[in-house]
Amino acid sequence: MQADTSPQPPAHPAPHSPAPISYVEGLARHYGSMGHPPYAWTIHHTAPMTPLTKPLGACRVTMLTSGGISLCTMPGFDPMARNDHRLDAIPADVGSGDFQIHDAYYDHSDADRDINCQFPIDRLRELVAEGVIGSLAPRFWSGFMGRIYNRSKVLTESGPAFAAALAEDGVDLLIAVPA
Amino acid sequence: MGLVCRVVEEAGIATVCVSTGRDLTVQVLPPRSVFVNFPMGNAFGAPFDLAMQRNILRAALDLSVSAVRGGELVDLPYCWPVPFAFEPGRS
Repeated sequence: MQADTSPQPPAHPAPHSPAPISYVEGLARHYGSMGHPPYAWTIHHTAPMTPLTKPLGACRVTMLTSGGISLCTMPGFDPMARNDHRLDAIPADVGSGDFQIHDAYYDHSDADRDINCQFPIDRLRELVAEGVIGSLAPRFWSGFMGRIYNRSKVLTESGPAFAAALAEDGVDLLIAVPA
Repeated sequence: MGLVCRVVEEAGIATVCVSTGRDLTVQVLPPRSVFVNFPMGNAFGAPFDLAMQRNILRAALDLSVSAVRGGELVDLPYCWPVPFAFEPGRS
């Protein structure tokens, strides 16, 4: 019996693996359509580096989101925010259903259903329970939403103040999730 | 966000960024980044896909240990199952 060599449809559709989206162009178009000036992204060719000095299992970790995520007990973020340096501290023991999301610049419908697909606090807790991570800091963070045109304020005020808060909590590693 | 990471790193605290905007990350150049070619808003995958959320988190943690120079960017091998585009969302 002759083998059938005709092309067969794949059992599963091939995963979509496109070139990464150009957000620089997309955001410039979107900002322009809203009457905002073009956003001049900072371009760096080198970056600072502070190595971890202990194993992960001894490190204290926290996480920062810029996705307009706030506790339901707090006011929502301004979904169209510009130059908003608001930064919320979020107690590390909150429930994953205690959040609301207000941000007009990305589709957060999945994160509305499960915060962990953008801000994986439950997965972090599991890794602590398993000893992969030493501990969580007492506070998670949400702020620095996009479209901050006055970037010098990040460099000289809000950024250093945030770093000082992390140091106060004894943080060894910050996981940052931009949106 | 990349700028914030740079400031925190300069203050002596390690950072790792989980990015869905590769071109943005390359420009701002945070100290360490993993790139996930998923829609913005799904940096750790789909809702309730615990295994993927965990894999991506573990990859970020692994990079925080293994990185030897500032500006390292690791492309994660995961593929989103359907086409997607830049879509500013609802508020």
